[in-house]
Amino acid sequence: MPKILIVDDDPNIRQYLAALFEDHGYLTVVARDVAEALQTAQDERPDLITLDLDLPGEWGPRFYRALSQEPELKSTPIIVISAMPGSRYAIGNAVASFTKPFDREELLKTVGETLDL
Amino acid sequence: MFKTILFATSATEASDHAARVAFNIAALNQAALHVFHVLGVPSRGYSQAVTDVKTKERVEVDADYIAWVTEELQTYYEKQLAEGDVQAGIEVAVGFPHREILRQARAVSADLIVLGRSTGEAEDSVYKKSFAGSTLQRVAKAAKCPVLVVSRPAASFWGGLSNIVFGTDFSKASDKAFELAAELARTFACELHIFHALDISSMHMGRSASQDEIEQQRREALRRIRAQYVSRIQGIDTYSLEVWEGIPFVEIVKYAREKHADLIVLAHHSKAADAEGPRIGSNVEQVIVRAGCPVISMNK
Repeated sequence: MPKILIVDDDPNIRQYLAALFEDHGYLTVVARDVAEALQTAQDERPDLITLDLDLPGEWGPRFYRALSQEPELKSTPIIVISAMPGSRYAIGNAVASFTKPFDREELLKTVGETLDL
Repeated sequence: MFKTILFATSATEASDHAARVAFNIAALNQAALHVFHVLGVPSRGYSQAVTDVKTKERVEVDADYIAWVTEELQTYYEKQLAEGDVQAGIEVAVGFPHREILRQARAVSADLIVLGRSTGEAEDSVYKKSFAGSTLQRVAKAAKCPVLVVSRPAASFWGGLSNIVFGTDFSKASDKAFELAAELARTFACELHIFHALDISSMHMGRSASQDEIEQQRREALRRIRAQYVSRIQGIDTYSLEVWEGIPFVEIVKYAREKHADLIVLAHHSKAADAEGPRIGSNVEQVIVRAGCPVISMNK
C-alpha cells in the first residue's frame, strides 16, 4: 500500500488528511515540523509527501531542499498544501499546489494520479 | 552585517511577501528596521490634495492624517512588530515614492533598502496612473546602498541563508557586488556560488557559434572567475564556480533554482547619473522579476 507523509503544524489538518487518505487505501505517517519530517521521511520512505509551507521554525521549502540532497528521497513527489496566498511556486518541483481550503476530490485525484505512475 | 534597513512598503498585499523577508533579515542582522510608507502622490501644483495609495481617495494631508496612516500601518504590521526580535519604527511621507524612498534612505543612512513587487499590477493603482516608470527601477538605479527586491510570493521564503548566488559579468560594478556577496557568505556561513552566463543570444549577431567556440569561451570565463574571485574568498568554506551558456537572465534564474539559492546578488550598471531615468540593465531587471528568491542589486 502506498505510504503518504503528511507534514503540517496544524493537528486538525494532519488528522483530516490522515483520515482522508486512509479511507482511500493509503498508509499515512505525520510530522509537525521540518526536523520531524526529515527524520520520518528517512525512517519511513514515503511514496508521496504533502507539505505545508508555513511551519514552526523553518519553512517548508527548506525541508524540500534538505530532502532533495538525500539521494534516496530526492525523487519523492511533493504536493504543497498551504494557506498562504500566492505560494503555488514556492517549491518549483512540486507535483501540485493546493491552497487551503482545498477540494478533497481534487486532492485525491492528484494523489491517485501521482501514485499510479 | 546590515545595521539599518529601510523597508519601503505600500502596506498592501503587494508588499506582504517583502515584509516577511524584511523582518527576517532585520532579525538575522539585529538591524534597525525603518518601515517606510509613501502615503500618496501629490496632485499637480502646490495643492495639499493627495491621492491616498491605499484608499484611492483624494485627501488633504495634515498632521492628523499622517498620524492616522501611521496608526494604520502599526495595525497592518502588528504581528511582526509584536514579535519583538526586531527593533522597528514606522515612518510615513508624501510625495513621489522613488524620491521619498531615496531621500529617506539617505536620511537614516540605510545600508539596505527592501522593496516588494510593484503595485502597478493592480488595475487601480495610484502609482500606475501617475508614473511612466516604476519605483523599483528608479530606486535600484539611484540608491547608494544595495537594494533587495522580493517580486514574487515564491521568492519570499527566507527562513535563513544557506546558499548565495553571485552573478558576474566581470565588470567593475560586479566586483563591488562580489564583495557584498562574499561578506554575506562569510557572515552567515553560506555556500557561495559564483556564476557567469555566457550570452549566446546576441554576441554572434545572427551567426551561430560552433559548440567548440562556445566551450572555449566557457573555459575562458571559468578561468577568469578563478583569477578574479577565488583569491578573494578567504573564510568561505564551500563555493562553486559555474558558467552556463544561453540567455543570461534565464540561466541565472535556472541556476539559482538548481542551487536552492536564498539570495541572488547582482550588479547593475548605471552609466548615466540621471536618477530620474527609469531603466536598470535588462538582464538584472528580468532576474529581479523572475527569480525564485530575493535579489540584491547593487550600483557600482
